[in-house]
Amino acid sequence: MSLCAILLFLLSFTSPSRAADVEAFPDLSLNDPSALREASRVLEEELKLAARPQTYVLIDLVTRTIRIKGRGIEFHHIPIVAWSARSQRNMTGIYRLIARPSIVRRKIDPPATVEQEPISLADMPVDYALSFTPLLTIDVVPAAGNNPLQWIVSSGKRWWQNLKNWGDALLTDQPAAQDAHLQLAVSAEHAQSLAWSLVDGMSFVIRRPTDE
Amino acid sequence: MARMPFSFSAMILVGWLVASVLPGSRMIPASPETLRPSARDETRVHSLQARYKTLSRQLSQFMPHQPYILVDTARNHLYVKRQQEIVIDAIASTGSGIILDKPGDRNSQWVFDTPRGEFLVQSKLTNPIWVKPDWAFVEEGLVVPRNPADRVEQGVLGEYALGFGKGYFIHGTLYTRLLGKNVTHGCIRLNDGDLKSVYQLARVGTPIMIF
Repeated sequence: MSLCAILLFLLSFTSPSRAADVEAFPDLSLNDPSALREASRVLEEELKLAARPQTYVLIDLVTRTIRIKGRGIEFHHIPIVAWSARSQRNMTGIYRLIARPSIVRRKIDPPATVEQEPISLADMPVDYALSFTPLLTIDVVPAAGNNPLQWIVSSGKRWWQNLKNWGDALLTDQPAAQDAHLQLAVSAEHAQSLAWSLVDGMSFVIRRPTDE
Repeated sequence: MARMPFSFSAMILVGWLVASVLPGSRMIPASPETLRPSARDETRVHSLQARYKTLSRQLSQFMPHQPYILVDTARNHLYVKRQQEIVIDAIASTGSGIILDKPGDRNSQWVFDTPRGEFLVQSKLTNPIWVKPDWAFVEEGLVVPRNPADRVEQGVLGEYALGFGKGYFIHGTLYTRLLGKNVTHGCIRLNDGDLKSVYQLARVGTPIMIF
Protein backbone atom coordinates (compact mmCIF):
# COMPACT_ATOMS: atom_id res chain seq x y z
CA MET A 1 0.00 0.00 0.00
CA SER A 2 2.73 2.43 1.00
CA LEU A 3 4.65 1.51 -2.19
CA CYS A 4 1.56 2.41 -4.24
CA ALA A 5 1.32 5.74 -2.44
CA ILE A 6 4.97 6.50 -3.20
CA LEU A 7 4.48 5.55 -6.85
CA LEU A 8 1.40 7.75 -7.11
CA PHE A 9 3.30 10.60 -5.50
CA LEU A 10 6.16 10.22 -8.00
CA LEU A 11 3.75 9.92 -10.94
CA SER A 12 2.08 13.17 -9.93
CA PHE A 13 5.31 14.97 -10.90
CA THR A 14 5.10 13.61 -14.44
CA SER A 15 1.45 14.48 -15.04
CA PRO A 16 0.54 16.14 -18.36
CA SER A 17 -0.46 19.36 -16.63
CA ARG A 18 3.10 19.85 -15.40
CA ALA A 19 4.56 18.87 -18.77
CA ALA A 20 2.38 21.52 -20.39
CA ASP A 21 4.12 24.26 -18.37
CA VAL A 22 6.21 25.43 -21.29
CA GLU A 23 8.35 28.44 -20.56
CA ALA A 24 8.91 30.69 -23.54
CA PHE A 25 12.23 32.03 -22.23
CA PRO A 26 14.13 29.38 -20.25
CA ASP A 27 16.90 31.91 -19.52
CA LEU A 28 14.52 34.27 -17.74
CA SER A 29 15.13 35.09 -14.08
CA LEU A 30 11.71 34.69 -12.50
CA ASN A 31 12.64 37.03 -9.64
CA ASP A 32 13.48 39.97 -11.86
CA PRO A 33 10.35 42.14 -12.27
CA SER A 34 11.63 44.16 -15.21
CA ALA A 35 12.82 41.04 -17.05
CA LEU A 36 9.41 39.45 -16.42
CA ARG A 37 7.64 42.54 -17.73
CA GLU A 38 9.78 42.59 -20.87
CA ALA A 39 9.28 38.85 -21.47
CA SER A 40 5.52 39.25 -21.08
CA ARG A 41 5.50 42.22 -23.46
CA VAL A 42 7.34 40.15 -26.07
CA LEU A 43 4.99 37.22 -25.53
CA GLU A 44 1.97 39.46 -26.02
CA GLU A 45 3.39 40.56 -29.37
CA GLU A 46 4.32 37.00 -30.27
CA LEU A 47 0.81 35.76 -29.52
CA LYS A 48 -0.53 38.12 -32.17
CA LEU A 49 1.99 36.79 -34.71
CA ALA A 50 1.65 33.12 -33.79
CA ALA A 51 -2.13 33.31 -34.27
CA ARG A 52 -1.61 33.72 -38.02
CA PRO A 53 -0.05 31.37 -40.60
CA GLN A 54 3.18 33.29 -41.04
CA THR A 55 6.87 33.15 -40.30
CA TYR A 56 8.25 35.86 -38.03
CA VAL A 57 11.53 36.78 -36.39
CA LEU A 58 12.26 37.28 -32.72
CA ILE A 59 15.49 39.15 -32.07
CA ASP A 60 16.40 38.13 -28.56
CA LEU A 61 19.06 40.58 -27.40
CA VAL A 62 19.13 38.93 -23.96
CA THR A 63 20.28 35.54 -25.23
CA ARG A 64 21.91 37.10 -28.33
CA THR A 65 19.89 34.99 -30.72
CA ILE A 66 17.83 35.66 -33.82
CA ARG A 67 14.95 33.19 -33.85
CA ILE A 68 12.98 32.43 -37.00
CA LYS A 69 9.60 31.25 -35.79
CA GLY A 70 6.08 30.35 -36.75
CA ARG A 71 3.14 29.38 -34.50
CA GLY A 72 5.44 29.88 -31.53
CA ILE A 73 7.81 27.17 -32.79
CA GLU A 74 11.45 27.96 -33.39
CA PHE A 75 12.42 26.88 -36.93
CA HIS A 76 15.97 28.10 -36.91
CA HIS A 77 18.20 30.24 -34.75
CA ILE A 78 21.18 32.42 -35.52
CA PRO A 79 23.66 33.46 -32.83
CA ILE A 80 24.43 37.18 -32.50
CA VAL A 81 28.13 37.80 -31.84
CA ALA A 82 27.65 41.42 -30.74
CA TRP A 83 24.99 44.08 -30.92
CA SER A 84 24.48 47.75 -30.26
CA ALA A 85 21.34 49.86 -30.31
CA ARG A 86 20.17 53.44 -30.48
CA SER A 87 16.78 54.35 -29.00
CA GLN A 88 16.51 50.83 -27.63
CA ARG A 89 13.85 52.05 -25.19
CA ASN A 90 11.50 52.62 -28.14
CA MET A 91 11.95 49.18 -29.67
CA THR A 92 8.57 47.82 -28.66
CA GLY A 93 5.75 46.49 -30.76
CA ILE A 94 5.80 44.64 -34.05
CA TYR A 95 8.02 45.85 -36.88
CA ARG A 96 7.21 45.01 -40.51
CA LEU A 97 10.07 44.58 -42.95
CA ILE A 98 9.73 47.04 -45.82
CA ALA A 99 13.16 46.93 -47.42
CA ARG A 100 15.75 44.16 -47.58
CA PRO A 101 18.82 43.58 -49.71
CA SER A 102 18.15 42.86 -53.33
CA ILE A 103 19.27 39.51 -54.65
CA VAL A 104 20.62 39.09 -58.13
CA ARG A 105 18.66 36.27 -59.70
CA ARG A 106 19.87 34.47 -62.76
CA LYS A 107 17.59 34.23 -65.75
CA ILE A 108 16.99 31.27 -68.02
CA ASP A 109 17.53 32.10 -71.65
CA PRO A 110 15.66 29.34 -73.52
CA PRO A 111 17.47 29.63 -76.86
CA ALA A 112 20.82 29.19 -75.10
CA THR A 113 21.71 25.70 -73.99
CA VAL A 114 23.79 26.91 -71.04
CA GLU A 115 22.18 25.78 -67.80
CA GLN A 116 21.86 28.54 -65.20
CA GLU A 117 23.34 28.08 -61.76
CA PRO A 118 20.60 28.07 -59.12
CA ILE A 119 20.61 30.63 -56.37
CA SER A 120 22.30 29.51 -53.16
CA LEU A 121 23.22 30.80 -49.72
CA ALA A 122 26.54 31.98 -51.16
CA ASP A 123 24.62 34.48 -53.30
CA MET A 124 23.24 36.20 -50.22
CA PRO A 125 24.85 39.38 -48.87
CA VAL A 126 26.85 39.45 -45.61
CA ASP A 127 26.57 43.17 -44.86
CA TYR A 128 23.16 44.78 -45.33
CA ALA A 129 20.48 47.01 -43.88
CA LEU A 130 16.86 46.16 -43.17
CA SER A 131 14.21 48.87 -42.97
CA PHE A 132 10.99 48.57 -41.05
CA THR A 133 7.76 50.30 -40.29
CA PRO A 134 7.41 51.77 -37.66
CA LEU A 135 10.76 53.41 -38.26
CA LEU A 136 13.60 51.05 -37.41
CA THR A 137 16.80 50.16 -39.20
CA ILE A 138 18.70 46.98 -38.54
CA ASP A 139 22.23 46.75 -39.86
CA VAL A 140 23.48 43.20 -40.21
CA VAL A 141 27.27 43.29 -40.25
CA PRO A 142 29.94 40.61 -40.33
CA ALA A 143 31.49 39.81 -36.95
CA ALA A 144 35.08 40.92 -36.37
CA GLY A 145 36.58 37.45 -36.02
CA ASN A 146 35.02 36.14 -39.19
CA ASN A 147 36.82 38.04 -41.89
CA PRO A 148 38.98 40.90 -40.51
CA LEU A 149 39.23 42.70 -43.84
CA GLN A 150 35.48 42.58 -44.38
CA TRP A 151 34.97 43.81 -40.82
CA ILE A 152 37.39 46.72 -41.28
CA VAL A 153 35.66 47.81 -44.50
CA SER A 154 32.23 47.43 -42.94
CA SER A 155 33.22 49.27 -39.73
CA GLY A 156 34.88 52.03 -41.74
CA LYS A 157 31.70 52.55 -43.72
CA ARG A 158 29.63 52.80 -40.56
CA TRP A 159 32.07 55.19 -38.84
CA TRP A 160 32.09 57.37 -41.90
CA GLN A 161 28.29 57.38 -42.04
CA ASN A 162 28.06 58.27 -38.32
CA LEU A 163 30.60 61.06 -38.70
CA LYS A 164 28.74 62.35 -41.75
CA ASN A 165 25.46 62.37 -39.81
CA TRP A 166 27.11 64.23 -36.94
CA GLY A 167 28.74 66.67 -39.30
CA ASP A 168 25.47 67.32 -41.12
CA ALA A 169 23.69 67.81 -37.82
CA LEU A 170 26.28 70.34 -36.63
CA LEU A 171 26.39 72.24 -39.90
CA THR A 172 22.64 72.47 -40.32
CA ASP A 173 21.83 73.00 -36.63
CA GLN A 174 19.43 70.06 -36.93
CA PRO A 175 19.51 67.42 -34.19
CA ALA A 176 21.13 64.14 -35.24
CA ALA A 177 18.70 61.41 -36.26
CA GLN A 178 17.38 59.50 -33.26
CA ASP A 179 15.43 56.82 -35.11
CA ALA A 180 15.54 53.38 -33.60
CA HIS A 181 18.58 51.60 -34.89
CA LEU A 182 19.97 48.17 -34.17
CA GLN A 183 23.25 46.75 -35.31
CA LEU A 184 23.74 43.00 -35.25
CA ALA A 185 27.13 41.43 -35.81
CA VAL A 186 26.84 37.82 -36.92
CA SER A 187 29.11 35.44 -38.77
CA ALA A 188 29.13 35.77 -42.56
CA GLU A 189 27.34 32.42 -42.99
CA HIS A 190 24.65 33.43 -40.51
CA ALA A 191 24.19 36.82 -42.18
CA GLN A 192 23.59 35.01 -45.47
CA SER A 193 21.25 32.54 -43.79
CA LEU A 194 19.20 35.39 -42.32
CA ALA A 195 19.08 37.22 -45.67
CA TRP A 196 17.78 34.02 -47.25
CA SER A 197 15.00 33.59 -44.71
CA LEU A 198 13.61 37.11 -45.00
CA VAL A 199 10.44 37.80 -46.93
CA ASP A 200 8.76 41.11 -47.68
CA GLY A 201 6.44 42.25 -44.92
CA MET A 202 7.92 39.83 -42.41
CA SER A 203 7.24 40.73 -38.78
CA PHE A 204 9.97 41.27 -36.21
CA VAL A 205 9.78 41.49 -32.43
CA ILE A 206 12.69 42.53 -30.25
CA ARG A 207 13.35 41.32 -26.71
CA ARG A 208 15.47 43.91 -24.94
CA PRO A 209 17.75 43.48 -21.96
CA THR A 210 16.50 45.21 -18.84
CA ASP A 211 19.73 45.73 -16.93
CA GLU A 212 20.07 49.42 -17.64
CA MET B 1 21.83 79.71 -32.80
CA ALA B 2 25.61 80.06 -33.06
CA ARG B 3 27.50 77.17 -34.54
CA MET B 4 29.84 75.31 -32.23
CA PRO B 5 33.54 75.59 -33.00
CA PHE B 6 35.07 72.47 -34.50
CA SER B 7 37.31 71.68 -31.49
CA PHE B 8 34.31 71.76 -29.14
CA SER B 9 32.32 69.47 -31.47
CA ALA B 10 35.24 67.09 -31.63
CA MET B 11 35.41 67.02 -27.81
CA ILE B 12 31.73 66.14 -27.62
CA LEU B 13 32.21 63.43 -30.21
CA VAL B 14 35.20 61.93 -28.37
CA GLY B 15 33.34 62.16 -25.05
CA TRP B 16 30.34 60.39 -26.51
CA LEU B 17 32.51 57.65 -27.99
CA VAL B 18 34.37 57.09 -24.70
CA ALA B 19 31.12 57.00 -22.74
CA SER B 20 29.58 54.48 -25.10
CA VAL B 21 32.63 52.20 -25.01
CA LEU B 22 33.35 52.20 -21.24
CA PRO B 23 31.89 48.98 -19.78
CA GLY B 24 30.94 50.57 -16.48
CA SER B 25 29.01 53.40 -18.06
CA ARG B 26 25.76 51.44 -18.02
CA MET B 27 25.92 50.16 -14.44
CA ILE B 28 23.28 51.28 -12.01
CA PRO B 29 23.97 50.76 -8.28
CA ALA B 30 21.54 48.46 -6.54
CA SER B 31 19.17 50.26 -4.20
CA PRO B 32 18.31 48.91 -0.72
CA GLU B 33 14.81 48.05 -1.98
CA THR B 34 16.19 45.67 -4.59
CA LEU B 35 18.24 43.92 -1.90
CA ARG B 36 15.34 43.54 0.57
CA PRO B 37 12.12 43.10 -1.37
CA SER B 38 9.06 44.04 0.61
CA ALA B 39 5.92 41.91 0.80
CA ARG B 40 4.34 44.22 -1.75
CA ASP B 41 7.24 43.63 -4.14
CA GLU B 42 6.87 39.88 -3.68
CA THR B 43 3.18 40.06 -4.53
CA ARG B 44 4.03 42.12 -7.59
CA VAL B 45 6.66 39.59 -8.69
CA HIS B 46 4.22 36.72 -8.20
CA SER B 47 1.64 38.45 -10.32
CA LEU B 48 4.25 39.12 -13.04
CA GLN B 49 5.33 35.48 -12.89
CA ALA B 50 1.72 34.33 -13.23
CA ARG B 51 1.19 36.60 -16.24
CA TYR B 52 4.40 35.40 -17.89
CA LYS B 53 3.45 31.74 -17.36
CA THR B 54 -0.06 32.29 -18.69
CA LEU B 55 1.28 33.96 -21.82
CA SER B 56 3.87 31.17 -22.28
CA ARG B 57 1.09 28.60 -22.05
CA GLN B 58 -1.07 30.53 -24.51
CA LEU B 59 1.80 30.67 -26.99
CA SER B 60 2.43 26.94 -26.69
CA GLN B 61 -1.21 26.32 -27.59
CA PHE B 62 -0.56 27.65 -31.11
CA MET B 63 2.03 24.95 -31.70
CA PRO B 64 0.71 22.03 -33.78
CA HIS B 65 -0.13 19.09 -31.57
CA GLN B 66 0.03 16.62 -34.43
CA PRO B 67 3.16 15.98 -36.53
CA TYR B 68 4.05 18.81 -38.90
CA ILE B 69 6.39 19.22 -41.85
CA LEU B 70 9.17 21.79 -41.63
CA VAL B 71 11.12 22.71 -44.76
CA ASP B 72 14.41 24.61 -44.60
CA THR B 73 14.89 25.96 -48.13
CA ALA B 74 18.32 27.44 -47.35
CA ARG B 75 19.81 24.11 -46.36
CA ASN B 76 17.45 21.94 -48.42
CA HIS B 77 16.15 19.81 -45.59
CA LEU B 78 12.69 18.55 -44.86
CA TYR B 79 11.80 17.49 -41.35
CA VAL B 80 8.73 15.85 -39.96
CA LYS B 81 8.53 17.00 -36.36
CA ARG B 82 6.32 16.23 -33.41
CA GLN B 83 6.60 19.24 -31.07
CA GLN B 84 10.39 19.72 -31.03
CA GLU B 85 11.20 16.05 -31.70
CA ILE B 86 12.49 15.25 -35.20
CA VAL B 87 10.66 12.22 -36.57
CA ILE B 88 12.09 12.35 -40.10
CA ASP B 89 15.12 14.30 -41.33
CA ALA B 90 15.34 14.18 -45.13
CA ILE B 91 17.57 15.86 -47.68
CA ALA B 92 15.39 17.71 -50.15
CA SER B 93 15.63 19.91 -53.22
CA THR B 94 13.77 23.20 -53.21
CA GLY B 95 13.28 26.16 -55.55
CA SER B 96 16.18 27.40 -57.67
CA GLY B 97 15.26 31.09 -57.49
CA ILE B 98 15.89 31.36 -61.23
CA ILE B 99 13.59 33.54 -63.33
CA LEU B 100 12.12 32.94 -66.77
CA ASP B 101 10.41 35.56 -68.92
CA LYS B 102 6.87 34.74 -70.00
CA PRO B 103 6.76 34.66 -73.80
CA GLY B 104 5.12 37.67 -75.40
CA ASP B 105 5.20 39.67 -72.18
CA ARG B 106 8.62 40.98 -71.16
CA ASN B 107 7.17 42.49 -67.97
CA SER B 108 5.93 39.20 -66.61
CA GLN B 109 8.11 36.40 -65.30
CA TRP B 110 8.02 33.05 -63.61
CA VAL B 111 10.11 32.96 -60.42
CA PHE B 112 11.09 29.45 -59.41
CA ASP B 113 10.97 29.90 -55.64
CA THR B 114 9.54 27.51 -53.11
CA PRO B 115 6.84 29.57 -51.38
CA ARG B 116 7.58 30.50 -47.75
CA GLY B 117 5.13 30.48 -44.89
CA GLU B 118 2.59 28.07 -43.50
CA PHE B 119 0.59 25.70 -45.69
CA LEU B 120 -1.48 22.58 -45.22
CA VAL B 121 -1.34 19.24 -46.97
CA GLN B 122 -4.31 19.56 -49.31
CA SER B 123 -4.04 16.33 -51.25
CA LYS B 124 -2.30 12.96 -51.08
CA LEU B 125 -1.68 11.23 -54.38
CA THR B 126 -0.24 7.86 -55.31
CA ASN B 127 1.52 7.35 -58.64
CA PRO B 128 1.06 11.00 -59.57
CA ILE B 129 1.32 12.12 -63.16
CA TRP B 130 2.89 15.42 -64.07
CA VAL B 131 0.73 17.75 -66.10
CA LYS B 132 3.49 19.96 -67.44
CA PRO B 133 2.78 23.66 -67.01
CA ASP B 134 3.62 26.27 -69.66
CA TRP B 135 7.03 27.10 -68.17
CA ALA B 136 8.22 23.50 -68.61
CA PHE B 137 7.90 23.95 -72.39
CA VAL B 138 9.06 27.56 -72.52
CA GLU B 139 12.29 26.89 -70.61
CA GLU B 140 13.18 24.18 -73.11
CA GLY B 141 12.43 26.48 -76.00
CA LEU B 142 9.44 24.39 -77.06
CA VAL B 143 5.99 25.49 -78.18
CA VAL B 144 3.31 25.17 -75.50
CA PRO B 145 0.95 22.41 -76.74
CA ARG B 146 -2.74 23.10 -77.27
CA ASN B 147 -3.77 19.53 -76.55
CA PRO B 148 -3.83 18.89 -72.76
CA ALA B 149 -2.87 15.25 -73.37
CA ASP B 150 0.49 16.45 -74.70
CA ARG B 151 1.29 17.88 -71.30
CA VAL B 152 1.05 14.61 -69.40
CA GLU B 153 4.25 12.92 -68.27
CA GLN B 154 4.32 9.79 -66.14
CA GLY B 155 6.89 8.40 -63.75
CA VAL B 156 8.82 11.58 -63.04
CA LEU B 157 7.27 12.53 -59.67
CA GLY B 158 7.89 9.24 -57.84
CA GLU B 159 5.25 7.07 -56.25
CA TYR B 160 3.65 9.69 -54.01
CA ALA B 161 2.88 13.38 -53.97
CA LEU B 162 1.56 15.72 -51.31
CA GLY B 163 -0.11 18.83 -52.69
CA PHE B 164 0.02 22.04 -50.67
CA GLY B 165 -1.72 24.47 -53.02
CA LYS B 166 -1.16 26.56 -56.15
CA GLY B 167 0.36 23.61 -57.98
CA TYR B 168 3.13 23.01 -55.45
CA PHE B 169 3.86 19.45 -54.34
CA ILE B 170 6.23 17.43 -52.21
CA HIS B 171 7.14 14.63 -54.61
CA GLY B 172 9.86 12.21 -55.70
CA THR B 173 12.56 12.70 -58.28
CA LEU B 174 14.61 10.91 -60.88
CA TYR B 175 17.49 13.29 -60.16
CA THR B 176 18.51 12.08 -56.71
CA ARG B 177 22.07 13.36 -57.20
CA LEU B 178 20.63 16.89 -57.06
CA LEU B 179 19.06 16.40 -53.64
CA GLY B 180 20.45 18.97 -51.21
CA LYS B 181 20.52 21.66 -53.91
CA ASN B 182 18.17 24.43 -54.93
CA VAL B 183 17.21 23.14 -58.34
CA THR B 184 13.43 22.84 -58.53
CA HIS B 185 10.76 25.07 -59.99
CA GLY B 186 9.25 25.51 -56.52
CA CYS B 187 8.19 21.99 -55.61
CA ILE B 188 9.98 20.02 -52.90
CA ARG B 189 11.71 16.85 -54.02
CA LEU B 190 12.64 13.88 -51.83
CA ASN B 191 14.16 10.48 -52.45
CA ASP B 192 11.79 7.49 -52.69
CA GLY B 193 12.33 6.21 -49.13
CA ASP B 194 11.87 9.57 -47.42
CA LEU B 195 8.90 10.38 -49.64
CA LYS B 196 7.16 7.16 -48.59
CA SER B 197 7.79 7.85 -44.88
CA VAL B 198 6.51 11.43 -45.16
CA TYR B 199 3.49 10.27 -47.14
CA GLN B 200 2.64 7.69 -44.47
CA LEU B 201 2.96 10.17 -41.60
CA ALA B 202 1.18 13.12 -43.19
CA ARG B 203 -2.57 13.52 -43.31
CA VAL B 204 -4.67 15.95 -45.30
CA GLY B 205 -4.49 19.00 -43.04
CA THR B 206 -0.97 18.37 -41.76
CA PRO B 207 0.77 21.78 -41.45
CA ILE B 208 3.75 22.48 -43.70
CA MET B 209 6.01 25.28 -42.47
CA ILE B 210 8.46 26.53 -45.06
CA PHE B 211 11.21 29.06 -44.35
